[in-house]
Amino acid sequence: MTRVAAARLGAALLGAGCVVWAAAPLVHRGWANLALVMAIAGVAAGALRLALAGVPAPEDTFLLSVPVRAWLGFLETLRRVPWEEVAAVALVWLEVMHRSRPWHTAVLGAAVIAYLLATHLAESDASPAALRPQARVLAVGAGLLALGAGAGMLPATGPGAGSALLRLVAAVALIAAAGLVLPFVAPRDTSDQ
Amino acid sequence: MSGDDADRSSASGGSGPPGSGVSPGGTESPRASTVSLRWRSSRHARRLLTLGLAALFIATLARRPEFAGLAAPALLLLAAGRSQQRPSRVRLRARPSTRRAFEGELVAIDMTVEGQGECSVRWTWHPGREIEPEGAAAADGERARFTFSPQRWGRRQIGTLDVMLRDRWRLAEGHLTVNLPSLDCYPAPARQRTQVVLSRLQNRLGEHAARTFGEGIEFAGVREYVPGDRQRSINWPASTRRGRLQVNTFAAERSQDVVLLVDGTSDVGEPGSSALDLALRGAAAAARAYLDARDRVGVITYHWGSVGWLPPGLGGRQVYRIIDSMLASERGGEGPAGAVHGTSMRRLPRAALPPGALVVVFSPLLDQRFVETLRDMRERGFTILVVDVLNADPPVRPRSTDRMARRIWRMEQEAIRFSLRELGVPVVHWDGIVSLDLPLARYTRRPMIASGARR
Repeated sequence: MTRVAAARLGAALLGAGCVVWAAAPLVHRGWANLALVMAIAGVAAGALRLALAGVPAPEDTFLLSVPVRAWLGFLETLRRVPWEEVAAVALVWLEVMHRSRPWHTAVLGAAVIAYLLATHLAESDASPAALRPQARVLAVGAGLLALGAGAGMLPATGPGAGSALLRLVAAVALIAAAGLVLPFVAPRDTSDQ
Repeated sequence: MSGDDADRSSASGGSGPPGSGVSPGGTESPRASTVSLRWRSSRHARRLLTLGLAALFIATLARRPEFAGLAAPALLLLAAGRSQQRPSRVRLRARPSTRRAFEGELVAIDMTVEGQGECSVRWTWHPGREIEPEGAAAADGERARFTFSPQRWGRRQIGTLDVMLRDRWRLAEGHLTVNLPSLDCYPAPARQRTQVVLSRLQNRLGEHAARTFGEGIEFAGVREYVPGDRQRSINWPASTRRGRLQVNTFAAERSQDVVLLVDGTSDVGEPGSSALDLALRGAAAAARAYLDARDRVGVITYHWGSVGWLPPGLGGRQVYRIIDSMLASERGGEGPAGAVHGTSMRRLPRAALPPGALVVVFSPLLDQRFVETLRDMRERGFTILVVDVLNADPPVRPRSTDRMARRIWRMEQEAIRFSLRELGVPVVHWDGIVSLDLPLARYTRRPMIASGARR
């Protein structure tokens, strides 16, 4: 199996895994079924788009037969719609339909990021080494993911909604602080442009 | 490309020709062109942004901090990627391996980009018409080579090239589209190794054995020795038999003038094997064969309303001049020598159609005026040989009237050829597949009787 095929298969499997992880156990409230359908459609169409990436579009589109025009329209739709973004939003939506399960959400977050990275590598025919410059930031992000999950597991200081809001503000402040120290974690590219 | 040109090309959407030129000698001198890039967020960045914003929105709405954590990696990647520097302009070089190629010949074009910094480069090539890629049409890296073969003669655009630069974090993409230089594609010469030789040759040194005696190498006969003959040419066996000194005589070696007359009035048949395709390929083959035999070869291209010409010349470069002349006439321009308006050969200068020249015609014989021109030339005393390149019939539907029309058309064509033969103009048919030696075999085995030119 070639590297490109492996990357495409890997992206598809990661997407499928994310859908299963976010959907289990199945819930039937808050438009969860619609979110599930959107997630499945997004991941499937994204995988199909990667699989059909090499199919060329004809330069001359005059006097084509109806089936050929339909096929070209299908390809165009497949390539234009941001299926992975639809899938990502649907996955987050599916996850929030469940009761609070912070570590489950953290694993889902890591899997979705991996899915998006794998999709990008597959569509650009790049090797995983292309992500090497981002390794430090990804490590910091993983730490924040874990901290977010930990914050979600902390008991609220009080019974009111204010304590939950307080935890949320703390988590967002943590992300902002991480963003501020980023230039020191990932040095600015100093090459002469 | 000058800086102003580059600015203009960038202003028109970031596209511009790389502008690799060619020197008169035919060697390539690649010139770099500076072109502007249009940077925008990559799909990857948009996906990360969507995930981050969706997770933050959900976290705020549901007040669940773990979703803020879910948004963190995506937002951090985006924040870190913003600090990457991206070049606004890059320098591109395009270097084709040649600017002239024959049909089916393998050609390569090397692309180089400079000033891209640490960005990765992705090249995607969209071949032009009648350009057949011989390898991958996409490549990565600061250098790329694309190989292709032009499929049909003419000036061909190699195509366009999409250049995409990605920054180190792959969050932004710089796009650029450039037009690749054009390529002059010559018709692939057919195979021809033998030549039709006139019985009366010009008084010029060459490689054809003439009927007169001279200093050639082909044995012509034996005659009696006269004072002044070279001693080494004495034929001792003949001298012994006859009792008197006999010397060998040899045929003189002369050259001839050959004028290729290409009929460009009708182009019928499948593209790639049409009458004009065959005429150009046949003329190129004939030019090469006669020039190899040290003959002087020229060309006349006949079109509606004008006749382009190149006077006969010698040497290997004359093949290219002839082909250039034919292609220039096909494009509607003048050949290297010139063109005259009107369809009469009488207005051609003597240099273009020298008296006593062998005229080899490549024509489908569909234009009545051209046939009349041939008759006129024959009556003026030129020795003409017609290579018929018509290999297509009119389309016919299964109706009796259509079949009848087709029969009449065929009979008319046969009548045209018959009338030319009656005038002493041989007509041979060539299908473009076999070697030209085969249809010309009847006329290459012995000298062709030359008519006296009466210009």
